[in-house]
Amino acid sequence: MDHQEDLMGDSEGRLNEERLDALFQTYRKAFPDPEPTANFMPQLWQKIEARERTSSVFAHLARNIVTAALALSSILALVVTVSHSHAAALPSETYVEVLEEDHARQNLDYFEPVHVEPIAEHR
Amino acid sequence: MLVDFELIIRARDGDGAAFNQLVLAYRKRILGTIGRLIGHPEDVEDVGQEVFLRLYFSLDQLRSAEVFEPWLYRLTSNAAYDYLRKRRRRMESRMADLSEQQVTVADALASTKVDHEEGQRKAIRETVDSLLDGVSEEDRVLLMMKEVEGLSLKELGKIYHVNENALKVRLFRARQRVLKSFRSSRKTAAGLGGSR
Repeated sequence: MDHQEDLMGDSEGRLNEERLDALFQTYRKAFPDPEPTANFMPQLWQKIEARERTSSVFAHLARNIVTAALALSSILALVVTVSHSHAAALPSETYVEVLEEDHARQNLDYFEPVHVEPIAEHR
Repeated sequence: MLVDFELIIRARDGDGAAFNQLVLAYRKRILGTIGRLIGHPEDVEDVGQEVFLRLYFSLDQLRSAEVFEPWLYRLTSNAAYDYLRKRRRRMESRMADLSEQQVTVADALASTKVDHEEGQRKAIRETVDSLLDGVSEEDRVLLMMKEVEGLSLKELGKIYHVNENALKVRLFRARQRVLKSFRSSRKTAAGLGGSR
């Protein structure tokens, strides 16, 4: 009994497979390759030209951006070079060293022994 | 091959006249494939132009003339897939705006305008459309290329750059899903017939 049901199920399955294949073939025949309209080629070339124009605008924009970036980096390089040359003119000591030196000089001002000439001897 | 290799090479090298000839040779076949893949005749030429537009801007990457046809079919199925995805999104948002009654009325009005033969074609298309509704757009395109366009697994492998066995498995699963909805639609139809 089960075997008979299986067989019936198999044949039903095969039948459905065949019906589905037939449906796909009917669909294929119902929709043959259409004739293109007269506008197909002119419209296609219009679209190609429009896309080319857009991409050339983008290419132009990209070129301008690259040029501007190059100019900016040249200016920056110039600024960095100039600031380095200024830095070379400055003293090579550190801030602490300069302070120390200054402090030492001030100390000398205060503690330099005063040279007192004996007045009496002159007389 | 509908054209000789030399024409393809000339088109690839930027010869506009050669490209024009290439389009003239293939456009009918490509439009037919697109029409059957997307099922909306009003948009076929638009999608077809998109295919040739993509071809024009990518032809310089073609390695050899021998692979031109798989390349063109790949562009065709990609454009059809993009169209189906966009359409599904559009339909979802449009359907959300319309009430069920409005949709029924719109459908009825549309169907009274077509003649008998067109009505039959419409019925076939709707049946195929509803059967393929259960599979993804990718599988729909793949299944149609195999079952309706009649491409072999080897040809499909060349188009999609996929192993034939993987394709076989994918196609089998997609076909099983379609068969399932085919069975249930037949059962529903038989049930309706029996109740009359």
